[in-house]
Amino acid sequence: MGYAAARGGLNAILTAENLVRRLRDLDPSERIELDQFTGRLRLLVDRVMGESGLWAPELAAMALRQGEGDLIEAVHLLRAYKSTLGRLDTAIPVHANDIQLVRRVVPAFREPGGPQILGRSTDYTARMLTTTDRDIVDASDSTTTLDTALKTRPSNSRMSDVLRDMDLLVDRRRTDDPEPFDITRTPAKPPAPRSALLSSMARAETGALVNQWYRNILGPDGYLHEVTLGEVRHGKLPINVRHPMTGGSVNIGSFRATEVEAIEDLNGSEEDRTRFDVGYGFCFGHNERKAIAMANLDIACYRDGAKSGLEQSLLMTTDGLDSAGFLEHLKLPHYVTFRSMVERKVAVRRVADGKN
Amino acid sequence: MGRTEMTLEATVNSSPTTIAELVGHRTTETFALLDEESKREIRRALLQAVCIPGYQVPFGSREMPVARGWGSGGLQVTLACVGADDAVKVIDQGDDEGVNAVNLRRLVTMSTGIDETTEVDEATLIQSRHRIPEDDMNENHILILQVPVPEPLRGIERDIRELARMHAEADYSRMWVSLYEDKVRNGVITQSTGYPCLVASRYIVATTPIPRWDIPRLHQSKFLTLFGAGREKRVYAIPPYTDVEPLTFEDVPFEVESADGATCRLCGSSDSFLVEMPGKQESWSCSDTAWCRRQRNT
Ligand SMILES: [Zn+2]
Repeated sequence: MGYAAARGGLNAILTAENLVRRLRDLDPSERIELDQFTGRLRLLVDRVMGESGLWAPELAAMALRQGEGDLIEAVHLLRAYKSTLGRLDTAIPVHANDIQLVRRVVPAFREPGGPQILGRSTDYTARMLTTTDRDIVDASDSTTTLDTALKTRPSNSRMSDVLRDMDLLVDRRRTDDPEPFDITRTPAKPPAPRSALLSSMARAETGALVNQWYRNILGPDGYLHEVTLGEVRHGKLPINVRHPMTGGSVNIGSFRATEVEAIEDLNGSEEDRTRFDVGYGFCFGHNERKAIAMANLDIACYRDGAKSGLEQSLLMTTDGLDSAGFLEHLKLPHYVTFRSMVERKVAVRRVADGKN
Repeated sequence: MGRTEMTLEATVNSSPTTIAELVGHRTTETFALLDEESKREIRRALLQAVCIPGYQVPFGSREMPVARGWGSGGLQVTLACVGADDAVKVIDQGDDEGVNAVNLRRLVTMSTGIDETTEVDEATLIQSRHRIPEDDMNENHILILQVPVPEPLRGIERDIRELARMHAEADYSRMWVSLYEDKVRNGVITQSTGYPCLVASRYIVATTPIPRWDIPRLHQSKFLTLFGAGREKRVYAIPPYTDVEPLTFEDVPFEVESADGATCRLCGSSDSFLVEMPGKQESWSCSDTAWCRRQRNT
């Protein structure tokens, strides 16, 4: 068959692949071990898992190492890997209050019910680049003992509950329990249920969501104003499945997540001015930036009520692989389409010159 | 359904004792990259697409080893259709040797073990970006076109809900107005590739972008054409022997690309889609490289 004719392109590809592999794997520095990614670059690993929609720290570390630290590349590797796997089971829903907290911040109240836990955070650390090894912590240093926050469970006093008890929250809890929209099996497009919006944002590229939010502050959009955060939580949640024989709940693991509630002041003429509403953000790993943007945009999208393009923007333009893939496809050959465009330029000119 | 069968089969054949083993066994059985459940789902969407020519069917586009925008939709369609006896031809801009064509072809052949070919008459599946081969194709061929933007009306309307309404009601008046305004302003219709066509007198489709040169090939074609848009998660189809009419006016004939008497510097043809090397004499050559080579050899 006509095989030999197709060799030139293949050789170019193989050479490129070889260059990447050799220059990466034969770098004079030590190869980075997977536990160095998960242990020392945990926020990067968390972001890859969040944007992949797959909780798998070791695989995320492998993807980052293979992709030379390119986040989008790592997400692509992980999601493409997931495509080859069937689904064995669906976990039993777990209540967000079952979280084992390692961090909880409640900006809306000085003394909320339950703990305020600053936890592992650089929020109030001076951003000064450490250029020496002098500050590296030594295991014997007693001032840095780890606290036992992981064992802390919140009381049920999440801020939306507190506000509801004070009759300060509009009630739009639904009484039915619809199946969540599965964005990995059905493409989400407007009008979509809230679960489609939330899962799209949970998997979105972090920077895309932050930008969607910031467009409202200094850009052309005005869907939202500055909200008050009710909850910013980071902690561990269990994964439980139903035992195939007994039907009982079995714990098969856990994952970490960031959860945010954003309290919105309702100021629209048609809105209930005596109460607040709340937006929700939730994503894999420790990624407060993303969860806060998500909670803000969730309530903004609800208040917009499909009047504008916000829902479409959130559902269809925030996925990192979609946007980056399409952007980069511009590198592919386009000489057939370009030839056709040139031909039309000549045709328009010919008409203008009266030669037709 | 298929999932349970596969799991049981894996259990019986090799008796895995852990979940990790069970999962491992499943992945090694993957023919054509995707799990069977995914391939069935894509085939169901394709069947719907064939039944409603030109209608954009949503499907659960998977993440592929190629990036979105790089043929991931066409690849999923090919992998959902491929069987062990198929032979695949893959072209990009008409060229079997283009790097993206090579990459997609090796993914198909590596994951299936099927034959590859550059010859249309040896191929059963032809995946292409931006071209239809110059050769005649028949009922034995499935042409799979990679689609970057499946929505033909996006140039005149951005809102997804409004677009759905326009297609549902076949309300294409604004499309006609835009073509009319184009003609009035510019003297010609300036749409270059991806020329909008009415399929089976019902749906307007985006023709991927193939050049206008290729559009007449779609009308009453003997072959089935499947369109895969991975990023936008849609498939659509033009079944064999279906009317495909480029949108134009009674007194404005549809024009394909012309190159003012230019001929291919390699085969001498003036009856193929030619591409140009800028700033050179005798700079034209056929975009379809396999066809060009055969013209020289016969
Ligand atoms: Zn030629």
